[in-house]
Amino acid sequence: MKGKSANPENILISFDKKLYNLKAIKLAIKEYQNLANFSFRQKNNYIQVELKNIDKEVRPIIKDEFCNYVLSLMRP
Amino acid sequence: MNQTEIKNNTTKFFLNLQDYPLEAIYGTAYVFLDKAYLFLVSRPAKKIEVSLKGKKKLTKKQLENLKGEFLNELLNYSLRINLAKHNRKIREYIVSQALFAALGGEEIAEEPEEKFEYEKDPLGIAIPWEEKYGQKSKKSTKKKSKSVTKKKK
Repeated sequence: MKGKSANPENILISFDKKLYNLKAIKLAIKEYQNLANFSFRQKNNYIQVELKNIDKEVRPIIKDEFCNYVLSLMRP
Repeated sequence: MNQTEIKNNTTKFFLNLQDYPLEAIYGTAYVFLDKAYLFLVSRPAKKIEVSLKGKKKLTKKQLENLKGEFLNELLNYSLRINLAKHNRKIREYIVSQALFAALGGEEIAEEPEEKFEYEKDPLGIAIPWEEKYGQKSKKSTKKKSKSVTKKKK
């Protein structure tokens, strides 16, 4: 689920805990941290990742690319 | 099988976890990472919603094709997982044998063949018929003697 953040400049992504693990998300954040400021919290069945101060060049694609990267890290 | 929703350059559809193992879904998603943006969400009743978003602007038909390709790959993956599951034991045996041989080990020791000594006669072949079963009737002995003489001829 890709939700909307309170601030329209920010991006909020909700990863389903049943399908994505925290380890993969943390690894992806580590790789992407030079493109935006990341924060995450666990809420019910989701891990919510919020992106702030996003690099303008990558803004249109960062959400989808980040999700793909997390998914790629899910493979054992 | 599933409803498909196509909008915003994205096709969304549901997969049932009773039909496809989760491992196969991850494997297929991995194959498609270069072709599309993927996102998975679990839904009630053991279902998973798959979102495939084109990396470039795609037409409705192209998105439908993308979904079709995804489902084909998913089927391929599911089959591979099933085969791997069924052949696991024999595969492990072959690999263990290969490793064992590579380490310079000998083949698994065969059971030593039992040596039959003909003098011991464990099956009792050397015991004469009469001794074993007693005297036969005259008719049967006659027939036997005839067949023996024929063979000799």
